[in-house]
Amino acid sequence: MAKEIKENEKVDIQEKLKELPIEFRLRAIDRLNIRELRKKKTKFSKFLLLLALIGPGVIVMIADNDAGGVITYAQTGSIFGIGFFIPFMLLMIPVAYIVQEMTIRLAAVTGRGHAELIWKRYGKFWGAFSLGDLVIANALTLITEFIGITFGMGLFGINPVEAVLIGIAFISTVTFGLRYHKWERISLVIAAFNLIFIPLVFFAHPNWSAVANSLSTWRVSSGFTPLFLYVLLASIGTTIAPWMLFFQQSSEVDKGIIPEDINSGRRDTLIGAVVMAAVAIAIIILTGTVVYGTVSNGSTASYNIQFIISTMGSKIGSLPVDLFAIGLVDAGLIAAIAITASTSWAVGEAFNWPKSINLPFLKGRKFYIPGLVSMAFAAIIVLIPNIPLGFLNLTVQVIASVFMPAALLFLLLLSNDKRIMGKYTNKPWQNIASISIMIFLVTASSLYGVSLVFPNLI
Amino acid sequence: MKNYKFIKNDKDWQNFIKKEKLFDRSAKPIRRAKVKGLIKFAFWFLRIYVIVMVVLIILGFLHLL
Repeated sequence: MAKEIKENEKVDIQEKLKELPIEFRLRAIDRLNIRELRKKKTKFSKFLLLLALIGPGVIVMIADNDAGGVITYAQTGSIFGIGFFIPFMLLMIPVAYIVQEMTIRLAAVTGRGHAELIWKRYGKFWGAFSLGDLVIANALTLITEFIGITFGMGLFGINPVEAVLIGIAFISTVTFGLRYHKWERISLVIAAFNLIFIPLVFFAHPNWSAVANSLSTWRVSSGFTPLFLYVLLASIGTTIAPWMLFFQQSSEVDKGIIPEDINSGRRDTLIGAVVMAAVAIAIIILTGTVVYGTVSNGSTASYNIQFIISTMGSKIGSLPVDLFAIGLVDAGLIAAIAITASTSWAVGEAFNWPKSINLPFLKGRKFYIPGLVSMAFAAIIVLIPNIPLGFLNLTVQVIASVFMPAALLFLLLLSNDKRIMGKYTNKPWQNIASISIMIFLVTASSLYGVSLVFPNLI
Repeated sequence: MKNYKFIKNDKDWQNFIKKEKLFDRSAKPIRRAKVKGLIKFAFWFLRIYVIVMVVLIILGFLHLL
């Protein structure tokens, strides 16, 4: 009888929300809105639902076009033109999508992050190995983001100290001051600025028939030289990085996705992968049109970002250079926001600490501190005079190349783990595709890692 | 607070919490995986790969310095 009365009693949602822990309270509000949109069947509500469920996939893919990535694509275009790398970047869309899609299913079904699953399913050794590698690689990658931020702001006359302080203030406000929903929406707005590279192409007046032709011929202008292989491997390393797996899975968990949302997560990731490739292709077309061929083959000037920027300035004017600089700063900021969050999530998951961006800073300080420390470390390193930044950049790539096979192997094992995934394990075609991608990426990343420290080997 | 029509009573609220899994899903323990067969082989490959790469990197960095 008492139960019947309770069932018929009108519920006070606000009171019910107060009964939930803070991180679940905020997530519950988001999920109430999503459930309400799901109940409506109009086209407009479906569109709103799509927008509401967009987030981790777009952020991770655009953050992957980070400051280092932008510079790599600019160098790629200026050294090799557009012949090979436009179709190559199109090929990277399914590669990135297939790898990241597994993290959506893992998050939706298990409700746990990647670091936590490795730690709990495969023990402390592999858990600590993955966490250690991720935290070190993330801290070093953050250095490269701050290099991009200071370089980009430097083009507007802002000195490095001011640039780093502005960067820290911005990243801290977003990461530590906003709760998940706002953090995600603001991150998406910052990510949208990455699109600035696309209209830049029109300043370069590229030969569109040559661009279209590259898709049918797909040839390497200089042949398979060691430099070509080096740039190819760098581009692959830029497209798929270990932190992306950890970031997207943790972010999907914090967003609160459930198996019902897997298809929406897939759409989110596909949109992100397409945008990522579009931006990369735009940068390659830009420098491939403006800078490629301005110096003799083999000249090291075409790798130099200063040279690339000054050539762009002299050929297409200062506005595109300013827009490029804004894009570079933005790329550094969005990647720094994602990588800082990825460090905090991974440490929180490994040590079973509260782990949600929905936690207020003081309540979740244990969770936020690893990200804060890594960001502060990177900022300080960038400001040390005469620090060998090239050497640090090389170290981060090498660490990523050691870590990549382990990260992919765990991703594949977890995605096929019936005990935790039930009916959501990989389908045979997904295993064939992901194992092929894994072999390709492991070969490429190990060759890249070795080639960085033994440049004459390839 | 916005009115959500699909939550009319306490039961609806409990169903919502259950369906949306708005609880600490990490609290449920998960057992350690049994490493055997091909997976065991993959782990040995990974160990060897990591050792070879670390040795190569140390040699490479010593060479660079």
